[in-house]
Amino acid sequence: MFEFNIFAQDFLNISTVIPSTLALALLILLISIALGGVLAFIEQKRVFVLWKVSQLFRSFLRGTPLLVQLYLAFYCLPVVLQKAALLAYLPFNQNDFNPVYTVIVAYSVHFAVFQSEIIRGSFLSVGYGQIEAAQASGFSFFQTMRRIIIPQAIIEALPNFFNSYLSVIKSLSLAFLVGVVDILAKAKLESALNFRYLESYAAAATAYWLLCSIMTYILGIYEKLIRKRA
Amino acid sequence: MDIAYFFKILPHFISALPITLIVIFFSQLFGLLLSIAVTYIQIKSIKVLTPLAHLYISFVRSTPILLQLLLIYYGLPVLLSLFGININFWSKTAFSIVTLVLHNGGFLSEVLRPAYLAVEQGQHEAADSLGFTSFQKLRRIIIPQLLPIALPGLGNGLIYLIHDTSILFVIGVVDVMGVASNLVSSSYGTDQIEVYLAVAFVYWAVTYLSDKGVKRLEKITERYHLENGLKS
Repeated sequence: MFEFNIFAQDFLNISTVIPSTLALALLILLISIALGGVLAFIEQKRVFVLWKVSQLFRSFLRGTPLLVQLYLAFYCLPVVLQKAALLAYLPFNQNDFNPVYTVIVAYSVHFAVFQSEIIRGSFLSVGYGQIEAAQASGFSFFQTMRRIIIPQAIIEALPNFFNSYLSVIKSLSLAFLVGVVDILAKAKLESALNFRYLESYAAAATAYWLLCSIMTYILGIYEKLIRKRA
Repeated sequence: MDIAYFFKILPHFISALPITLIVIFFSQLFGLLLSIAVTYIQIKSIKVLTPLAHLYISFVRSTPILLQLLLIYYGLPVLLSLFGININFWSKTAFSIVTLVLHNGGFLSEVLRPAYLAVEQGQHEAADSLGFTSFQKLRRIIIPQLLPIALPGLGNGLIYLIHDTSILFVIGVVDVMGVASNLVSSSYGTDQIEVYLAVAFVYWAVTYLSDKGVKRLEKITERYHLENGLKS
């Protein structure tokens, strides 16, 4: 049956990997925001040819599960890097390529599509009057971007970025299939030692639930602050 | 890349596709029914049930689907054996459908509830003042207006559901992904790229078709939008 001691022990052990999971998710989030910005720019400006490529790319990323993309990256990336290293005469061994890099690349690309939607929406939410006012005041394009549009767009986008941070954390649970240790992977390792699957999975669920509740609480406070200021 | 091998293994995946489709169909159907029940409970604010529904939605939304699958697979038999129910003979597909129904039910109710609330209060009042019963009101006034609002969210839910079926091989379901992992483990570490590329194309096709279907439904229900209805 359910042993509470084992549950508590598992929970303590799992909580040691929470900081590294959060840091990895943050890194993925930042890279995906940068990529998403590029994608949003390409689609908004309809850059020649790249625009069509990015649409195909978007359809593929939306149409296939993250897990399949992760496996594709896991098997493709070392081979591709090996070929590239051979061309550039760099020392590289595909057998000791750390799967964390695979996870970072695959997840950043996967989430970039979602981020580009968020970014596009937040830019469009800035009223056109604001841009006209900036132009009337003689701001350059760059100045308008930096002083008028981006500060307003960021406020609009932050809650959505926060939500996608949570979904990155949750999706990182798939990373144990390529050998990266996060919360769920740690729970699996714990249960492999004593065959108490239920306790360790319950501990992992509690960890995730606590994390998400705390983050949602913080987000609620932030939204209240914004509403007060507006 | 070995294109010949890619086309050689593609039929394997297509023969495993029915299992994935069955899982998707039943999970979507029962998930939608569950989400309607959960939405009803949330909106009506019933004493004990409403906090329970909130707890359920918060759990479903804040833990990964993989973890939920493992919890159901290892936990549900233990939980039900306390009540003297034996479900150890259930197939792995049944466990995965239960997981996806529970996951989808919580997820879709977060789509349905805002859609219900988006229908104006005036519509309720107008129906009431015309003497509609509550069932008539729901069928003739609320649901037709709710559908065009909820459909994009429900379509997204369907896409996520299709993606979520890719993790079922972890407990040993032999669907498209299960066939892929069997192929990979029997080929001694070669040709994985072809295998997963084929899986990607199968999933891409399924998502594309279901996306088209949802778009079609959206077009049909478009005329129920209040502004569009007045025009036609």
